[in-house]
Amino acid sequence: MKFLIYLILVVLLVPLQTTLLPHLSVWGVKPDLGLVAAALVGLFAGELEGLLVGLAIGWVLNLYSAGELWLSLLTNGGVGLLAGFLGRQVSRMTSISLGLGLLLVSLVTGVFAVLNFQHFDGAQMWSMIQSIVFPQACFDGVVGGGLYWLLSQRFDVVRLKTE
Amino acid sequence: MAHSRSPYGARRLAFACFALLLVVLFLIPSQIKGLLQYLDGPVGYLVRIPLEAIASVDAGIADRWEQYVALQGVREENQQLRKEIEWLRGQHSQLREAVTATERLTALLQFKEQALPTMVAAQVIGRDATNRYHAIILNKGESDGIKPDMGVVTPAGVVGRVVKTTAASSVVLLVTDPSNAIAGLIQRTRDEGVVEGTQQGLAQMKYIPLLSTVRDGDRVVTSGLVGDFPRGLVIGTITRIDKQEGALFQSAELMPEVDIGRVEEVLVIQTSYGQFTKGGAGADLLGKPSP
Repeated sequence: MKFLIYLILVVLLVPLQTTLLPHLSVWGVKPDLGLVAAALVGLFAGELEGLLVGLAIGWVLNLYSAGELWLSLLTNGGVGLLAGFLGRQVSRMTSISLGLGLLLVSLVTGVFAVLNFQHFDGAQMWSMIQSIVFPQACFDGVVGGGLYWLLSQRFDVVRLKTE
Repeated sequence: MAHSRSPYGARRLAFACFALLLVVLFLIPSQIKGLLQYLDGPVGYLVRIPLEAIASVDAGIADRWEQYVALQGVREENQQLRKEIEWLRGQHSQLREAVTATERLTALLQFKEQALPTMVAAQVIGRDATNRYHAIILNKGESDGIKPDMGVVTPAGVVGRVVKTTAASSVVLLVTDPSNAIAGLIQRTRDEGVVEGTQQGLAQMKYIPLLSTVRDGDRVVTSGLVGDFPRGLVIGTITRIDKQEGALFQSAELMPEVDIGRVEEVLVIQTSYGQFTKGGAGADLLGKPSP
């Protein structure tokens, strides 16, 4: 059952991210729902599921992007794993703390991705960070925090936690 | 809300998997890519179903919007288009004369007839999944004969080139992406250069010779020397020249001919490089005269 839910999530993320989200983009920037989904799965289901679902999301979304496969696998899988690990260390999670965490993670992965544009000079990289990476990180934080708030309002959300 | 569970086994396994992934990705990246390519086909077909369904709903809504809601300013646009038709009619008759002369001269010089490229039509069903690339997704892929590096155009001009394919879809890197490079030719001066995208969603032509008399309004077309584009496809119009003191070349900013944000259907050029006529013999494909 869980596998089916994850499969539907991964398959539906593609049309959502590539077809619908461009209409909701602000100044040409849209949130990375793959990253948000990987983080939420990691947070609620633990490191292993976060990693595996993150890898699946990274791979499938990369089929519909001009970006590098390894980068997509590393960032999405890594975020799922990190969210699972950090989520256990936090005793009380709020939508604001999750949003801030996602903002930070998205910023770090975005900067890492920009640094891999080998033909870019420093000015171009800085411009890309200012115009794309930072707004997207804010967007990811807001969307992730909002989704967590919605989920925690509607359902009795169970989160894994270290003793 | 929160509960405890012994996490150490799963955690160790997750970290071990991630470490293994890191090692494998850095040591044998091409093998991993090859392995995953076997799965690309079935996954591509599976994802195609919701993707095309949502894309068609999206296109339907956009169509309704354009037909009923976004009709403001149509009267002015109509008048403008009528004027343009008048101007084009004049150009058309001049061009017919030029075509007759060209045919006569071509026969005289016994040039080979230029092979028209084979093209496949495709629909745009999405945009790049990330924000870092200017790319579009097409509803045709390897099963329709589309391969990486093929050129993509509309009747107006160059759109970009295919960079990635699955069985049922393909990703096209747009001419406005900074990672894209197309060999260009200034139609009036015949100077060659490289056209790259900019982060502002425009394009720039680099490596124009310093002695070139290029000016604003000059049209840039594909040179046909590198890549899978035939000669003479319109890329854009020069809007600004950048000539820096001490530089070996000058560069120019281009306004792409195709409205990249609104492109809905495209043509993928399937004829491989080398089948087009090279050199100055061929006429410009899809080329339009400068106003």
